[in-house]
Amino acid sequence: MDDFRTGKHISQQYSDELNEIKNHLLTMGGLVEQQLEKASIALVEGDTKLINEVYKEGSQVNALEKLIDEESAQCLARRQPAAGDLRLIVTVIKAVSDIERVGDQAERLARFASQLAEHPRPKNNYHEVYQLAQHVQKMFHDALDAYARGDEELALNVIADDVNVDYEYEAIMRQHITYMMEDPRSINSSLDVLWAIRALERIGDHACNICEYLVYLVKGQDIRHSKNISV
Amino acid sequence: MNFNKEDVAISITDLNLKYEGKMALQNISLQIPKNKVTAFIGPSGCGKSTLLRCFNRMNDLISYCNVQGKIIIDDQDIYSKSVNVADLRRKVGMVFQQPNPFPKSIYENVAYGLRLQGLKNRLLLDEVVEKSLRNAALWDEVKDRLHENALGLSGGQQQRLVIARAIAIEPEILLLDEPASALDPTATLKIEELIYELKQSYTIIIVTHNMQQAGRVSDYTAFMNMGTMVEFSNTRSLFTNPREKQTEDYITGRYG
Amino acid sequence: MIKNPITQLKDCFGTGEPWVWLSAAAVSLSLMMVFGLLSLIAYNGLGYFWPADLMEAELLNGDKKTVIMGEIRETETVPAQQLREAGIQLTKEEQWLKRILLKQGNRDIYGLDFRWILEKNIANKHYPKDLLVIERKEWGKLYGRLTGIKENGQFIKTETLYQEMQSRLKQVHQLQKKVNELLKQQLGPINTRLETLRLYEKKIQFDTSKLSETLSNIEEQRQLLNQKFSQYQAEVQQLYKIMASDSILIQIASGQIIEVSMENIVQVIKPNSMNILEKLGHYIHQIWLFISDDPREANTEGGIFPAIFGTVLMVIIMSILVMPLGVITAVYLHEYASQGIMVRIIRIAVNNLAGVPSIVYGIFGLGFFVYFIGGSIDDLFYPEASPAPVYGTPGLLWASMTLALLTLPVVIVTTEEGLSRIPGAIREGSLALGATKIETLWHTVLPMVSPAMMTGLILAVARAAGEVAPLMLVGVVKLAPALALDGDYPYLHLERKFMHLGFHIYDVGFQSPNVEAARPLVYATALLLVFVIIVLNLTAIIIRNRMREKYKELEPH
Repeated sequence: MDDFRTGKHISQQYSDELNEIKNHLLTMGGLVEQQLEKASIALVEGDTKLINEVYKEGSQVNALEKLIDEESAQCLARRQPAAGDLRLIVTVIKAVSDIERVGDQAERLARFASQLAEHPRPKNNYHEVYQLAQHVQKMFHDALDAYARGDEELALNVIADDVNVDYEYEAIMRQHITYMMEDPRSINSSLDVLWAIRALERIGDHACNICEYLVYLVKGQDIRHSKNISV
Repeated sequence: MNFNKEDVAISITDLNLKYEGKMALQNISLQIPKNKVTAFIGPSGCGKSTLLRCFNRMNDLISYCNVQGKIIIDDQDIYSKSVNVADLRRKVGMVFQQPNPFPKSIYENVAYGLRLQGLKNRLLLDEVVEKSLRNAALWDEVKDRLHENALGLSGGQQQRLVIARAIAIEPEILLLDEPASALDPTATLKIEELIYELKQSYTIIIVTHNMQQAGRVSDYTAFMNMGTMVEFSNTRSLFTNPREKQTEDYITGRYG
Repeated sequence: MIKNPITQLKDCFGTGEPWVWLSAAAVSLSLMMVFGLLSLIAYNGLGYFWPADLMEAELLNGDKKTVIMGEIRETETVPAQQLREAGIQLTKEEQWLKRILLKQGNRDIYGLDFRWILEKNIANKHYPKDLLVIERKEWGKLYGRLTGIKENGQFIKTETLYQEMQSRLKQVHQLQKKVNELLKQQLGPINTRLETLRLYEKKIQFDTSKLSETLSNIEEQRQLLNQKFSQYQAEVQQLYKIMASDSILIQIASGQIIEVSMENIVQVIKPNSMNILEKLGHYIHQIWLFISDDPREANTEGGIFPAIFGTVLMVIIMSILVMPLGVITAVYLHEYASQGIMVRIIRIAVNNLAGVPSIVYGIFGLGFFVYFIGGSIDDLFYPEASPAPVYGTPGLLWASMTLALLTLPVVIVTTEEGLSRIPGAIREGSLALGATKIETLWHTVLPMVSPAMMTGLILAVARAAGEVAPLMLVGVVKLAPALALDGDYPYLHLERKFMHLGFHIYDVGFQSPNVEAARPLVYATALLLVFVIIVLNLTAIIIRNRMREKYKELEPH
């Protein structure tokens, strides 16, 4: 498989190694995506079976993270990658930790889901939270997709989309603060909801980070912490 | 890249070099900064050594070699007729790929250039020899056997001796033509360390096959291919984010 | 599995083993030939100096008995038929006969030095202790018994005749030495000055101003010199007279008594009464005389010192001439000349020059150096000497130059070979330090090439020292009156003729009146020639090896 930015080396083995690292990263991303999806379904439906699956997949993700770190270190030591290859390895190392955090957040989401399942559920069955979860899932999916294809435009779109997630997050937060003030009995469940949306918001940020890495990978330009994002 | 006029050691404009009818260098224009290390990298036969040898007119030794264009060192075109080649080479020292000490004593090797200039004062010679050997980080290893044959030294020591020999006549510019390619990694690192020390006082131009080495020692890097200057920039950016695809392909080991 | 013989043979050749054996055999054969040759020369040459026992015997010739004396040189068995054909009467039943070669000496009396004698005709062979071998300055050796000593015609009465004779001989030799010194140190220079005066006189004839004044001056000087000359001459005459006063009486084999003047005797020994140590001492003394003495008797007696000296001096002058010329040529061809068709032609010509027969060089030397250059020098600088030539005649300088020309290709080729082996990196290293081309050559390249130059010199010396044919045309003579190097200004006389070992061998071996007697001398001279060449070569090789050590070639690490 001659993929974006990994192929065409004089040493085919080098290309293969880089491909493998990248594929492992994408596999890990896919797993985390699944975790996230299951956790958000569990949140709105209170399905404990799904919650257990999320935990189980968590250990697979951790194993993959260690594997990718090891492979990247080996590549640095033995191939001394330069230019594009160097940027690939550097971004993979960083993206791996971001993806792993996303996985952690998904697990937290699952934990809150199991706590929420013990409480009486509202009429709309946390529809607004599910929507936020859907939004964040799409962002994360797009981030991975952009990374897989080297599509910096898509990545920039994802980064731009993060503002919307923040708005939604703030709206839900305000809504639940109102609930808590109206009915102190709902404080327990509302707090859980607040923690859950907080986790979702963090996932959106991680997706943004991954996209920023991708822009660095493709353009060699570091756009983090800069106000003026134009490439 | 553009530098202030006083920061430029060598200024090359539209240099073309024909070797036996073939164009070996084409339209090279380049400014080499003063007191910095500039590395020339590129595949074999790209003309980087040829370009290096233009700076001290070593190409003069090869007949059928035709140079056009300007190379200006110290406000003087070194290819103009009024230039004394021996004087130029005193100003622009050179170290070669294979260590090439003369079959004389270590002392005589270092003193060679000075003796050519007619220096006979023993005390002064002693002083310069010691200083040069110290600057070449070789003094401690050879101080007890200065009058032994230089060919008894190891390859790395020989190469440092050759560098000492070159800096003994205090050139302004030091050309290094793959100085470490015949050496083992430890000796290579010693030479690299030496280059780092020497750049305080000399303008250094190094040709190397080893990109990592270029990355390690140089401030500026020029990538050449097929007799043309493809990219010349800051070493920092060239090795992480080259502008040209040719450069990227070369330094990451791809076929273009 | 059993292979058929042909396959086995093929396999055997395939391993290369037979070739190894073959080359080893060739090497040992060559070595054996070299050592065989050397030992043959050494055996034949060195035996000559051994003081052989002197035999006395009775020779039966029909009824007559004669006494013979001499050294047995050879014994051989010949078929009787051969002797019959030579006219010797023999009985039928004899098939093989032993005969001996006797050196009977006394050439002035018998006419022949050597004589073949049939062993069966000899009786009463014995070796009396009182037989003497008297080596004379003329007519070779004399064998006989000492019967008396005369001084001014009067017999000396003494018990110990032999000792008396030896002590008187010593005195005579001391006188001889004195005479030689007088001749060399007093008469020689006076002669030279007289000659200079003569030439000067002749020269100023061309310049008429102040002629008479100078002429009278010259005449005055000449008078003075002539006076001195006759004074010394009288002294010499006096000494000669004293020397001639002593003589000894020798009874030879036939019973005849011969008077020999002491001044004619080189030495007297009693070989039959010498023990082995005395013989050894005498042997070494003889070899020393051979090496250090002047030749006598048309080169068949005495030493060969002038020939050794001439050979070595000629080779040294040749080296001094050929080295700069060859090295400069090689440097020009290799470093400066543009490598075009012209240089290639010159190179081929140089290589072919090495193959030209040496006699051709001799002819060239005679025609160009001797007659053209030498003749021109004489015309320009020595008009007063004419018609006697100074440089316009074969001499040491022309011989050395001819041989220099002969060995030039060897030096050029080896030096060029050496130059091409110097790595380019060394030249570049020197040039990069601001050295010019000539500085690079002088300080770096040439020192590194010096071992190759020495190799060239070794080859040149080896060839030059053994060359005879061209020398016969350009300066070598059978007998040179004086060495080319002596105490007279300008010390080195390049115009003089000289002697050469190679020519000496030819001369003694083929041109001497007494070939049989000279044969061992030929071997001894040949051995010495080989030895001289070995010494010259070894010297050069030692110098080269020292240089090699110093200028070790660059080896890549």
